[in-house]
Amino acid sequence: MRKGKEEMRRELASLSFADKIRILEKLRDRDRAIAACGLRRTASNNGPDRRTDDL
Amino acid sequence: MFYELCRPGSFVDNGFVKRTLQMINEMQGAGVISHYAIGGAVGATFYLEPAATLDVDVFVLLSDRGAVLVSLTPIYEYLKARGGIEDREHIILGDWPVQFLVPGSELEREAVAASIPVDVEGVRTWVMLPEHLVAIALSTGRAKDHIRVLQFIKEKAVNEQMLRAILQKHGLLAKWEQFEWRYLGEGT
Repeated sequence: MRKGKEEMRRELASLSFADKIRILEKLRDRDRAIAACGLRRTASNNGPDRRTDDL
Repeated sequence: MFYELCRPGSFVDNGFVKRTLQMINEMQGAGVISHYAIGGAVGATFYLEPAATLDVDVFVLLSDRGAVLVSLTPIYEYLKARGGIEDREHIILGDWPVQFLVPGSELEREAVAASIPVDVEGVRTWVMLPEHLVAIALSTGRAKDHIRVLQFIKEKAVNEQMLRAILQKHGLLAKWEQFEWRYLGEGT
């Protein structure tokens, strides 16, 4: 069964600082990857082409 | 609408924080700084779930307290000589942009002095107490600071009595009451 959000938060909060730092590094790398390549909003189905500039 | 992440395979477990902390400790050992404490989002992460941040805030007490002008130059010079790269308000150490901050208020000075020792994979470092992190975030008052304060309160990660004493000591009670009214349902 999927864990609840609160339970997940508690688990994350109870990790060791070193483990949390590893997660921080992954989050930072993800942010950098998003910033480096641009996050694009693309059109959904139906409707006109709503492709927009990079966010 | 959906989002595309161009390079999803870019996650790397680089473990650079450890090296960053070692360098700061060496700098302390060399007498460039007398004490330091991690604050900001990384400091908060010690007590809460990890939240994305791009840099590490390190509050430092300088060794030369008698100096008329407070300068971070000795820190930058020390670290640049050991591979640190200056990048605007940061110095990049082991892949982490680190922002060194000299406490600008009595609250921040107290927070550094009262910080607690923490072990990160065998490297000792210091992290501010949760009550000081909340008080500093409250005084800074940006949206992301308010979110952090809410996280601390929601997770019951602060000693409320101690927090109140710190807020009172540093003239932040009125700001706190406003925050409570606005975000904690005290007047809603």
